[in-house]
Amino acid sequence: MSNVGVRAYVGTRIKEFRTTYGEEGISQEALANAMGVATNTISRWETGTYEPTLNDLERLARFFGKSIVQFFPRVEAHDVKSEKVDALLRAAESLQQDDLDELRRYAEFRRARGLQKGSKQRKILN
Amino acid sequence: MSRAEYYRQMRLLAGQVREQYGLQTPRVLKSDLRRIYKDNDIQIDLWPYKLKKLRGAYFYDEDGASVMLAKGLPDDPMVFTMGHELKHHLVDRDSIVSLCDPSNQSTEIEIGAEVFAAELIFPEQMFRDHLVARGVTQGSCTAQHLVQLKRETQTTLSYAGLAKRAEFLGLAPEKSLAKVAWKKLEESIYGVPFYKRRLIARKEW
Repeated sequence: MSNVGVRAYVGTRIKEFRTTYGEEGISQEALANAMGVATNTISRWETGTYEPTLNDLERLARFFGKSIVQFFPRVEAHDVKSEKVDALLRAAESLQQDDLDELRRYAEFRRARGLQKGSKQRKILN
Repeated sequence: MSRAEYYRQMRLLAGQVREQYGLQTPRVLKSDLRRIYKDNDIQIDLWPYKLKKLRGAYFYDEDGASVMLAKGLPDDPMVFTMGHELKHHLVDRDSIVSLCDPSNQSTEIEIGAEVFAAELIFPEQMFRDHLVARGVTQGSCTAQHLVQLKRETQTTLSYAGLAKRAEFLGLAPEKSLAKVAWKKLEESIYGVPFYKRRLIARKEW
């Protein structure tokens, strides 16, 4: 998928999570307030006019109670990476649960970066 | 390889890194580590979310190497953590899945990273030479000596790191530096820092 394609996909996912948030969804304005951005930024993310940064996506993911990778198209190779990360986290018995959760989120953040970078590289190659 | 030999290797490696990047003093800064990270293609991610005990983590896979660092760590612990994670990159990246495994090998890996980081910031020999030059002999090193050492060398190795090393080398009696209130002692020797005086004055006002 091209960079534009991924950006549009991410936009539709943001919209999907926003409109299904809670029972009735949440307005763009309310989400913008929660995120500390302008309302039209949310709109431009959703339409793919603007590309949210990974940090924006991480904040959105936390707000919606999702994983950052859920904003991206599924790629099979993820499963191999997930297994590796799961093995790492299972081994990290000495860490507290909160820290383990943050480690997992960071691992997902890296995967999202790989997906974003991959789509950009493919665009350059095309 | 015995543990002692492994740790010696880690110290040697730290010495090589210091030499390669022109680190000549015990004051190693975040900018020095950033330069080394950049040269080794390690991505730094400052993690702004709350972490309880975790200070940093190293990941390596087909997306490359990256280090997560707890955002907001004070400068000295940040430099030490970056040194610790650098060792994982240089030495352990193929077996990184076993990181934090409570087995002996993993403990060795983690202790090795601590040894590497401490040596990277303040080499053992340099540390010993500084103290000996101040008249410290085996078993005679006090907390005051270490406060003076930190002040005069401006080292970025923490008081905890300096104390651990002084005890390890036998320069200070074992556990003699375990419960020192370092900042208070520093203020009793050198006075309250200006920024703190201003804060206190503001509060009183």
